[in-house]
Amino acid sequence: MVKVVVIRRVKPLPLGSVLIPAASIIIGILLSALILYVLAGTSPVLLFINVGRGFVSIETLRDFLMLTMLGAALVIAFSGAVWNIGEEGQITFGMIGAGYIALFTALSASPAAAKVAMIVLALILGGIWGLLAGALKAYVGIDEVASTLIMNYIAYYFLDYLVRGPWMGKHTYGYIRTDLIPATTQFTPIPVPGATITYEDIVLTVIVLAFSFFLLWKTALGVRIKVLGSNPDALRAAGVNVPMLITIALGISGALAGIVGAAQLAGYLHRISYPIESHTANLGYTAILVAWLAMLDLRAIPIAAYIIGSLDQAGRLLQTAGLGGIAVTNLFIGTTLLTFTVLRVFSEYSIRIIR
Amino acid sequence: MAIKPQTPSGVVPASETVLMVRGVTKRFPGVVALDKVNFDLLRGEVHALLGENGAGKSTLVKILYGIYSPDEGEIYVNGRKVTISSPSDALRNGLALVSQSPQLIDRLTVAENIILGLGKYGLISRVGMVKDFIIKASEDVGIKVDPDVEVWKLSYTQKQLVEILRAIILGAKVLMLDEAITFLPIREKRRFYKFLRKFADAGGSVILITHKIKEALDVADRITVLRLGKVVGTVKKEEVTIDDVRRMMFAERASQITYQRLPPSQPREEIALEVEKLWVKGDHGVFAVKGVNLKLRAGEVLGIAGIVGNGQKELVQAIMGLRKCVRGRIRIYGRDVTNVPTAKIRELGVGYIPDLPIRYGLSPDNNIEENIAMLPVIAKGIISWGRVRRLARELIEEFKIVTPSTKTPIKLLSGGNLMKVLVSRELMIATKLLIAYNPTRALDEATAILVRRIIKEKARSEGVAVLAVSEDLDEIFQISDTIAVMNSGRIVGVFPGDKADRDEVEKLMVM
Amino acid sequence: MSWYTPILAVAPAFIAYYLTALGHGIFEKSGVLNLAIDGVFYLSVAVAYAMNVYSGSPWCALAVAMIVAACFGVLLAVLVTQFPISHGAAGLSLMFLCYGIGALIGTPAVFALRWKKMENPNFTIGFTTTPAANAGMIAASVIIGLLALYMLNRTKLGVAIRATGENPHAASALGVNVLRIRCIAGAIGYALIGAGATFFELAWLPTWQQLQGMGHGWIAFSISLAAGRHPLLTLVTAGAFATLLTYQYTLQAAYNLSPDVAKMIPFIAAIVAMVIFMVTPLKRRLSPPLSLGKIFFKEERTL
Repeated sequence: MVKVVVIRRVKPLPLGSVLIPAASIIIGILLSALILYVLAGTSPVLLFINVGRGFVSIETLRDFLMLTMLGAALVIAFSGAVWNIGEEGQITFGMIGAGYIALFTALSASPAAAKVAMIVLALILGGIWGLLAGALKAYVGIDEVASTLIMNYIAYYFLDYLVRGPWMGKHTYGYIRTDLIPATTQFTPIPVPGATITYEDIVLTVIVLAFSFFLLWKTALGVRIKVLGSNPDALRAAGVNVPMLITIALGISGALAGIVGAAQLAGYLHRISYPIESHTANLGYTAILVAWLAMLDLRAIPIAAYIIGSLDQAGRLLQTAGLGGIAVTNLFIGTTLLTFTVLRVFSEYSIRIIR
Repeated sequence: MAIKPQTPSGVVPASETVLMVRGVTKRFPGVVALDKVNFDLLRGEVHALLGENGAGKSTLVKILYGIYSPDEGEIYVNGRKVTISSPSDALRNGLALVSQSPQLIDRLTVAENIILGLGKYGLISRVGMVKDFIIKASEDVGIKVDPDVEVWKLSYTQKQLVEILRAIILGAKVLMLDEAITFLPIREKRRFYKFLRKFADAGGSVILITHKIKEALDVADRITVLRLGKVVGTVKKEEVTIDDVRRMMFAERASQITYQRLPPSQPREEIALEVEKLWVKGDHGVFAVKGVNLKLRAGEVLGIAGIVGNGQKELVQAIMGLRKCVRGRIRIYGRDVTNVPTAKIRELGVGYIPDLPIRYGLSPDNNIEENIAMLPVIAKGIISWGRVRRLARELIEEFKIVTPSTKTPIKLLSGGNLMKVLVSRELMIATKLLIAYNPTRALDEATAILVRRIIKEKARSEGVAVLAVSEDLDEIFQISDTIAVMNSGRIVGVFPGDKADRDEVEKLMVM
Repeated sequence: MSWYTPILAVAPAFIAYYLTALGHGIFEKSGVLNLAIDGVFYLSVAVAYAMNVYSGSPWCALAVAMIVAACFGVLLAVLVTQFPISHGAAGLSLMFLCYGIGALIGTPAVFALRWKKMENPNFTIGFTTTPAANAGMIAASVIIGLLALYMLNRTKLGVAIRATGENPHAASALGVNVLRIRCIAGAIGYALIGAGATFFELAWLPTWQQLQGMGHGWIAFSISLAAGRHPLLTLVTAGAFATLLTYQYTLQAAYNLSPDVAKMIPFIAAIVAMVIFMVTPLKRRLSPPLSLGKIFFKEERTL
């Protein structure tokens, strides 16, 4: 009988924080290639070629910026062991906020005022959606993974209702969608051919990343969030209001995700199409992988965002067997995250096999 | 299934070795718990394992019960070499462990707890099949239990009895008791002694872990003394006196240990902490604190003596706002803090050394700086890390905390250094009141003395009031200006520190 | 139409959600936080659909879906018991993995079905849903529920499962092989989820597109939680949700709601159900397993 004994290392595995994410990505790609080959007959060579293309594709930049923001938002929540799986819903509500300002208020007259208002309202609505889930966990005890996931669907269907109903556009040529948002509310694309990013996207990314750093590294709130992820009991004994802290952590995470919703609408989509759940770029879920692969270290978020963004793009390019890129993305998130979760054990523990 | 192991003639061959431990070594991060230990257990004997805290007694029996695996060494049961890698293995070899805290599952019934270990019943068997069997077994052994009662409803004594019954039903030939009966009332304890004797006479063997020399001499046939992981010696009870054994336990330190009282402080007039008719519930809905009254003056050290589990932990948690006060009042410097959030209590300048220091005091994944900055009394809003780092360095220097840097996650520090971080931090922030539970637990002798001196100094020169609960009676006598004894949720005696009679205190602790 | 026909019409949804919630509950009783539920549900739906298309037999599809699901259950059980891995992380990873695999299995089957229909226009998938069949489904659910209750409360297996959920370390000390028990609970639990998903797909909504069934695993999660994971109480909560979902369109027409709002209602109800459970005395009477989601790893350390 072989017995597996797991013993905590006295010192963590050297270079573990680089080796393990790297190994997870490579093994994740290989496993995905295997599964795609077995189930869909996809040529692994084609897969690897598209992975390569993804890394150099200029469209990847958009994912890179969005995932950096979303990843940073998740690092804030995850550092406190608050598992915000609801960024899709928070992005959606951000889009609702930005869409409302852009389409239905007179603010669209002044570009600066409009854009600021869009971002602010997106931030607020995303933040509220996050606060709600946080409060459900903190004060009612409902697991935030279940609640945020369910709330994603509620958010999707709410936006769907708006688009099909009061927000239905007047010039839609038979499609169910909103009008284009006024040109004054659209972000300004950078003058590089093929690039889908805008100046505002870049500015927002820098601001969100800087804010996240500041919050986690320079404020008492940040330290408490980090301790929350390690030992909430110690916080309680120290005199911190832990339920409030949990709620705020999810709220901030949701607000930042809401900003991405505004950026997606104003910088890329320019209109909202029905049904939103089929059109979403799934970034809210992909960001989970980004945050984990960066080992919850903000400095590694841009790197992880770029890598995962490239793979996401590769999935889109692959378009295998009539599937949308989302299936491939999910597959990849799954294999990589699973590998990562298992490999991470090795950095903190050493495994011995006893016969 | 034999309940009482018996030989055909009813007479047990005296020199048969039932258990042999050879060269067992066990290391934990930062400490060698057992160092090439050799140990023999004979059939039909009650063998006491003596030693002070950290001697390795618990570690040895946990290895025998498959909870830990030894780094080196061999174990032989009835002459055959065995590998014990789980409690199931141990039970299969006839070894059963009963520890201080019952290992039963509260939400299940007695029968359900017991059936889990009965290998002959497959997974499809009905629990009902086992009930009659349990009733008969309990009658045979002389322990009365209702198999259908849920374990959380039982008292501590009853739970321990169920544990022993379970061990016997599972065919244990060797009973290992890890301080399992230390906290039983004297009357129950004597019942157990009689039962253990009967068990041994019938061919079973008992390993009894205790730190009370007198208990060992009362009930055991042989005594093995461990010190710092090594076997000091094995003696027959007839051959030694209490002093002999004490010398073995403490060796050359026996004369060096000065349980001399530290110079007393002069309590001031102000009342720092007042507890009035306090009632607090424990974890199972039963009252743990039953109408406690305390008055603590500024500059006074009040030591609370008592056996663990008599309400001290609940009292301390209630004062800190971590447990609900059902009835009564708590006042700190005149302010009513009954059921007030912990944050407000901390703001009053209260330091807290919790009963479970790692769980309630520290964050293992974070470093020393973060463990200091997480306290709202130290950092609010934007943090000045320069200031925090300076504080961290002061603590490291004063307490000689061994750590590569202030940025090392403290989970990488040894147990003793972890405690140093906690204790030093709390001593630093306790400007008005310190609530301490086992303040020197896991600390080496030198640091323990340092901590006690600092506590007395803070009381004397800064007027800090100190409420110290300690399981170490010597420590209580060393530092307290006033000694209170807590038993069964009540304060059963209050004595001035310099005039307290040790025997009387001990008597009140165990009555 | 007799008085019982509207009630029987709820049967397919009922058995689908009930079996899923029941299986989930049994697995969680062994202490494993099952966040992979939606993934496995989605995957089983796709597997059931595909197997029915390829084999022509819904019963064959049922068997295969149950086996596939059970394998994932055992995988999750092993991962969280043998390694100090966060249950949430493991569950979420499996969820995404299953989303991906499910899409890969379901999509080709859609084309295969079209081919089959061209060759044989009478080819259909799914169970026949006559009133008798519906009654059978309801009866089967109740019987399975009673069996589950018996197993959990009266057999040693059930005791071992509950012990592992309350305190795996104590259970191990009491003689339970925690890994083995969790694998059994995982196999049984996930097999039931696979069965529930099969009925979802083949008895209730026999179509398939890439988002078929996504999110409904979470509804089953809420159904189980709101009932305190009690096999009989879950019949009630499953019945409530099944009724809500079966008559979603009727409700929509009656109150003139947008179809999207109607789609929101079950999810909002899920949250409300969980909140009700958590804030009422229900939570104390039917408390969750004490060690649910706790990492099973004993650190060999003094202090």
